[in-house]
Amino acid sequence: MQVIQEGLLKVDPGLLLWTIITFIVLVLLLWKTAWKPIVEALDARAEKIRGDIDNAEKARQEAEKLFGQHKEMMDRAKDEAAQIISKGKEEAEKVKNEIIEKANVSGKEITERAKKEIEIAKEKALTDLKNEIVSLSTDIASKIVKKNLNSSDQKGLVEEALKNMRTVQ
Amino acid sequence: MYGIVVGHLTDHPIAPVAVLPGDNIVIRQLKGINNFIAIDLNERILKNYQINISGLPNSDLRITRWVLMLWVSVLMSALIFIPLGRMIKKDRYGSKSRWVNMWESLIGFVHDEIVEPNFDHKYIKTAMPYFSSVFFFILFCNLMGLVPGASTATGNLAVTGGLAIFTLLGMFAVGFVKQGPLWIVTGIVPHGIPVFLFPMLWAIELVGLLIKPFALTVRLFANMTAGHIVIIIFLYLIMMFESYFVGIASVAGSLMIFLLELLVAFIQAYIFAVLSAMFIGSSMHAH
Repeated sequence: MQVIQEGLLKVDPGLLLWTIITFIVLVLLLWKTAWKPIVEALDARAEKIRGDIDNAEKARQEAEKLFGQHKEMMDRAKDEAAQIISKGKEEAEKVKNEIIEKANVSGKEITERAKKEIEIAKEKALTDLKNEIVSLSTDIASKIVKKNLNSSDQKGLVEEALKNMRTVQ
Repeated sequence: MYGIVVGHLTDHPIAPVAVLPGDNIVIRQLKGINNFIAIDLNERILKNYQINISGLPNSDLRITRWVLMLWVSVLMSALIFIPLGRMIKKDRYGSKSRWVNMWESLIGFVHDEIVEPNFDHKYIKTAMPYFSSVFFFILFCNLMGLVPGASTATGNLAVTGGLAIFTLLGMFAVGFVKQGPLWIVTGIVPHGIPVFLFPMLWAIELVGLLIKPFALTVRLFANMTAGHIVIIIFLYLIMMFESYFVGIASVAGSLMIFLLELLVAFIQAYIFAVLSAMFIGSSMHAH
């Protein structure tokens, strides 16, 4: 116990007592005036920051959800647009085909009609010709009868008539 | 040389100094305060309060250099933290002042590293004032000791012992209040041991409980004293060798130790506070 009586390792009871008194005074002095407001303020700030972080997280999740919805909507719109375009193409194709078919049909009709008309015209021409021939023949016959021609003349006349007929034909 | 080193590192009551006619006003005021303490307080009043404890040296309540340094630390704490409390309360969501933010980060350090790991959430608010006081009081004492002309109050067994007594009392008080009066018998011994081992383990744990604050006392004292001894001896080498070359090396060496001491001042304040928190926190629950 000699070592704590003097020198470096001396434990002075007076100093010990003063240390205890000083420290108690320090704690009591700073407890209400300094530490309490500081700790309260820091706690309040920590609480606020925690709340802010929570809110930010919530807002982020909300934004992500909205973004997902938006993306889905965009995708749907794109699909719809593609569908509309393909349907339009299909319809256009159909209309084109219909038009071509109609044109073909009407072209055929026109040629048919033209052929028929030509046929009719030809028939008419033939009937006309026949009538002409008949009238010509009657004319010739009447002329022959009128003139009483000789056989050579008659022959000449028939030939002439035949020639006429040939040219008409 | 032993006398010089020990003279720097040991305590003396404040003694009167003569006021010289050439002193300027500041020196005269300081000497006036010194003489007020030395003559009016020490010699007239405090010398009469004798403390005689067997085993310890006889003493009285005279104010010594070390007591004065303790008071300087208290004054610094009060001057820094009382206005700081008001400033932090005013700017609830963070001050722009660097001064406020510096202290705030240190208080945050005490909160996050010392109190929070060792106490339940609901007791943090109650524990913070005590451990902040311990940390900053020891820190200021340590740092004041590095100012030339001042002395390290924490480099004394009586001071560190006085602080460790609070840790011991805290351990006992928290144990008794939180776990009931039987804590001292059942609370400190681990559960699930055979009954016949109980008395032996109880004795070991009880001694361990008392050794913890003793270790705190010696650790802080030894760390703060050792650095000062090295600094003084480095500088004393100049007087021993009376050589400029030794002077260069000595000053460089003592400067290095001085910077190391700056680090040690923080580390030891942290260690004292964190171990106190650990000891007191561990008597919250049975283990």
